[in-house]
Order: sequence, then C-alpha cells, then structure tokens
Amino acid sequence: MTTATTAPARRPTPSPRALARGGLSTLRRHPLFVVLALMVLVFQLATGSFLDPGNLRGIATDAATLAIVAVPLALLVISGYLDLSVGSTLALGGLVAGWLAGQQHQSPAVAVLGALAVGATVGAVNGILCCYLGLSAFIVTLGMLTAVRGVAQQLFPLPLSSFGSGFAWLGGSRIAGIDAPVVIAALVLVAGALFLALTPSGRHVFAIGVNREAAYLSGIHIRRTPFALFVVTGVAAALAGAIKASVLDSVVAGTSGAGFELTVLTAVLLGGVALTGGSGSILGVLLGVLFLGCLQNGLTLLSVPTFWQQMAQGTALVAGAALAYFGPRLTR
Amino acid sequence: MTRSPYSSSVSRRQFLALSAGAATTTALAAAGCSAPGDGVSTAEAAGEPDTSRTLTKIGLDYPFTQLPLYATLVKLSTAAAKQRDVSLLTTSDASSADTQATNLTTWVTQKVPAIVSFPMVFEATEAIAKRALDAGLIWVTYGGSLEHQSADIQFSFLKGGTLLGEAAAKWANEELGGKGKVAFLTDSTIQLGRERTKGMIDAFTKHAPGVDVVAQEQAIDPDTGLSKSRAVLAKHPDLNLILGVTDAAAYGGFKALQQTGRKATDAKTFVGGQDGAAPSLLAIKQGTFYRASAALAPQDIANAVVEVPLAVAAGKAKPSAQVPITLVGHGDTARIDDLLAQNV
Repeated sequence: MTTATTAPARRPTPSPRALARGGLSTLRRHPLFVVLALMVLVFQLATGSFLDPGNLRGIATDAATLAIVAVPLALLVISGYLDLSVGSTLALGGLVAGWLAGQQHQSPAVAVLGALAVGATVGAVNGILCCYLGLSAFIVTLGMLTAVRGVAQQLFPLPLSSFGSGFAWLGGSRIAGIDAPVVIAALVLVAGALFLALTPSGRHVFAIGVNREAAYLSGIHIRRTPFALFVVTGVAAALAGAIKASVLDSVVAGTSGAGFELTVLTAVLLGGVALTGGSGSILGVLLGVLFLGCLQNGLTLLSVPTFWQQMAQGTALVAGAALAYFGPRLTR
Repeated sequence: MTRSPYSSSVSRRQFLALSAGAATTTALAAAGCSAPGDGVSTAEAAGEPDTSRTLTKIGLDYPFTQLPLYATLVKLSTAAAKQRDVSLLTTSDASSADTQATNLTTWVTQKVPAIVSFPMVFEATEAIAKRALDAGLIWVTYGGSLEHQSADIQFSFLKGGTLLGEAAAKWANEELGGKGKVAFLTDSTIQLGRERTKGMIDAFTKHAPGVDVVAQEQAIDPDTGLSKSRAVLAKHPDLNLILGVTDAAAYGGFKALQQTGRKATDAKTFVGGQDGAAPSLLAIKQGTFYRASAALAPQDIANAVVEVPLAVAAGKAKPSAQVPITLVGHGDTARIDDLLAQNV
C-alpha cells in the first residue's frame, strides 16, 4: 500500500474570459449595480461635482451607519425574521453613549460599551420573544420600536450635547485617511460576507430562511442562530447610534433615528434580500446602501425641490426594487 | 421524543395569559386614575362658559411629543398649574393629526373643562373646537387662531424667521461686504415651518440681496441638516451662511461645516436657527460661528398655557396672550443662561 501523498493541486489562474464571465454573472445577479453606475454618471454630468472626493467622502460617511445596521438586518431577513425596532434602538444607544461620555464623564470606550450593552439587551428581548416564544417578529419589533422610543424619551427628555473630544474620535477621526465610521462599516461588511460564505452558521442562516422545519430536522439550531442575529442587530443599531451621536456631538430622544428602520429595510430589500427569507447577499446590501446614499446626495446637489425629491426617491426605489426582482429572471 | 418547536407550547400560553392579565390590570388601574369627572368641578355646565367658575383641570394638547420642548413644556406647565391649584392633563399625539383628533374628541366627550390645543391641521380642528364650545368647555388655540375658540396663545413664527433673517443679513453686510453664499434649511410640511421659512428667507434676501442663495433644502432635524449641508458644501465649499428653520437642523449644518475643516470660531461663517434649543444655545455661548437663535422662552409658554384658560374662566375681557420671540446672539450670555435654566 502506498502512502505517498500528492501535492495539493494549485488553483489555476482564471483566464480573462473566465473573469469576464464571472463579472457578467455578478451583474446579472445584481442589476442594481448597473442602475447605480448610471445614476452616478448622470449626477456627475449634471452637477460636475458628484465625484469630487469631498462629496464621495460625505456620501460614504452618511451611508456608513446605514451599512452597519443593514448587514446584520439582512442576515436576519435571510433567516426569515425582521427587526423594525432598529430606529429606536439607534436612538437609545446614542443617548446612552452620549450620557455616559458627556454627563458621567466616562471614557469613550465605556460609553460605547454601554451603548452596545443596551443594544444587545433590546436585541435579546426581541430574540427571546420571536425565536423562543414564537411571536411574530413583525408585531414584536414594531411594538419594541414604540416601547424603546418611549423609554428613550422618558430617560432623556432633553437633548444631550457636548460629549467631549475623546468621544468625538468615534465619528470624526480618520484611519489611514478614511473616516472612522466608514472603516467600521467596511469591517462589518467584510465580516458579514465572510460569515455568510465561509461559516456553517452562515449556511444555516439560509437553510433556516428557506425552510425552518427542514432545517430543524437537519439538526440546525433554528432558534439559537436567529436569536444571535437579533442580538447582533441590536448591537449594530446601538453602535450606529453612538457613531451618530459622536458625529453630531448631540442627540435628541424624539427625533434621532426616526424612520431609520424603513430606510435600512429599504436598503436591504433593494439589495435583493428576499423579505420571505432564504436568499440575499452582502454585496447586494452594499449596493442598496450606496444606491440610497447616492440618490439622496445627488438630488440635493441638483437642488431638486423637496416634494419632487420625495417623488423622485419613491419612483427610483420602486424602479430599483423591480429591477432587482425581475432583472435576474429576465437574464437567465 | 423531541418536541417540535412548531407545536404551541404551554410556556407560550402561560406567557400570553400573564401578558393579558398584566395588560388588563394596567388598563383598569389607568382607567381608575383618570375617570371622567374626577376632580372636575366645572364640567357639568353646558352652553356658554360660566364666567365665574373656578377651573380645577386644564388639558394641554401639544402634538409634537418627539420634540425636546414637549417634555420641558409639560414639566413647566404642570408646575405653573400646581401653583394655581389646577391639575394638568396631557395628550400623546406622537405628531399624528389623526391621533390628535381622536384625543381631543375624547376630552370633549369627557368634558375636560379647559383645553389648550396646538392644532396640527387648523382646518380639521375647527369642528372639534366648535363641539367643545357647544359643550360649555373653554377652548384655547395654541400657535394660531380658530373661528371657534375662547382665546388663543399666539407666537409670531413669521417674526422669529424674520429676526433671524435680518440678523444674518446684517452680519453678511458687515463681515462679508454684502457678498457670499447662503444655504437655507427649510420646512414646507407644516404651517409653523412655512411661516418660519418665509420670514427667514424674505428678510434675508431683502436685506442682503448681494448674497447668493445656493440651496433651499428641507431639513428640521440634525441628521438631515448634516447630510444636506454636507452635499451643499461639496458643491459650494466656500459657503458662508447656513440658516435653519429649526435649531436642530442648523446644528447639523454647524457640524457639517466643522467637519469640512472650518474652525468653530471662523470669522467668515454664520450659522443660525430657531427655537432656542440647548445645544445651539451652548454653541452660541461658547462664541462659535453658531451666532444666533430666534428663541422662545419655555417658561413664558407654560405660564400662558395656564393663565389664558384661567383668564377665560374668570371672564376677563382680553384673555389671549402673545408669547414673545427674541433673538439671542453672542452678547446675550445672561439671556442664554436664563433660557438654558428653563430647559429642565
């Protein structure tokens, strides 16, 4: 019996044609990319300043908090659940971080950890009610959206501001020339993509979203994984709140993060994540986030009147969603 | 045998039963605490208000519960009411005109003797105000006038915008030689916002016609103020002035300017807003380029909320009140401290 081992076969370098095929395949799966590219082109031609580094930096910073929450929310939606409480959790996270940094004079690290703990608590409550008690995620998180906002307004009825230069680092510093929120968002995006593609739990997310009973019968923890995703989503929302509080050096309980849950859900759905669960990708989520950020920024640069902006945004969102839905089917 | 998670479990039933029990108990307790007629000595009267009656209860309906002013106003009004041996009721409208209509109708049905309401839609509130008057209740309109009312508490939102616009124009003429670029953060969604916006833009463009208006963007909160200002600054990095329909939006613009590298004390930059919000007042006090706010004093409003219905009940000839709006700037430290002290 021979025990000789063979050297592992080296992966052949993909040919240009294979690369092009891969690129086309990606475009077919994410037609929003084409729409985004066209939109950027139109905005640049119309304004002449859309692609200026300063403007791109502004778009990236604005989109960062959206991306930070959109990634775990996308995973949650893929697993067949939903979290509508992220707007209020964002507000509460920002308030707790601001309160710890500004009024309790705690270090920025403690302030952020405090916010994350609050976010984790909200996420855990959502997770227990939805995953272990089997209540409807839509109803539970809608209720939590209101309840957490009420808690935030009761605890912090007045605006908080002046959090100190240490806390300002979170939203205002640069790492290798890139704004810290953008770096954090990039890390979250990469972590989300790696989790989905490379880990068994990532595969389980899809399996649970496609068919919960089949996943259960296959030995997958159909409660533990979504529960963890609820907690991570809460943590991400609170982190986004802390970043916003740091950027603005102020936070208001009643208005901070108001309507954020719909914006982030729109980004997730635009990115091709199915609301029914079972499909989606982090690249799609990134495209959805960038689409919303570029659209808002471009319309402002064009000085489009308010109500026309609303109409244009609504139309673009419906068109983008339609393309994301029908595009892959038409190009099969 | 492993129990399938799809069958309804006993623990879930127990949870639901406990929840229902708790909710019922809470509702009964709440109902007991606020039963109609509780502590009301004047609610029986129908028809015209009795000019000699004593009020023991006033309902304050301020719909914008998400604004910081709501908490301050409720606290100060409750204290002012307590000093006059009156209890204060409040609604929770959550900025919804439908919810406001429902809450006001409930109060009219329950004969809350005096209602002070800030209508989100004045036309839609007219019928409710009429029903209140027909039921012998006192109706005080906050922030405007209705055809059917006992009195009103007026604010000149137009004047607030005008004060800010004039101050900014004066600064632009003195510091920039009447040249430069201005961006307005506006609101066209509610009457209050439209009046403030009109006052601000009309006054500024009239007194500083040489300054280019490079943007008029809808923004009433700091997040939107920040992102809109960022976009405007990308196109006009030499922007000199940002004027906001609210202090919250203007504060977002203030931060956007700072994030583009503008020093907080830059001599060629002016940011101003309206409301007298605490973060903005602090920025003004610190001598930054956040230079002005058209401010309302919460204590003045709270006093009016209590005194106007009492004046109507006492049969006074002119019970209405006009709450003053004043412009605070860098030199007004004592006034700023006074306003900050009221934000409790």
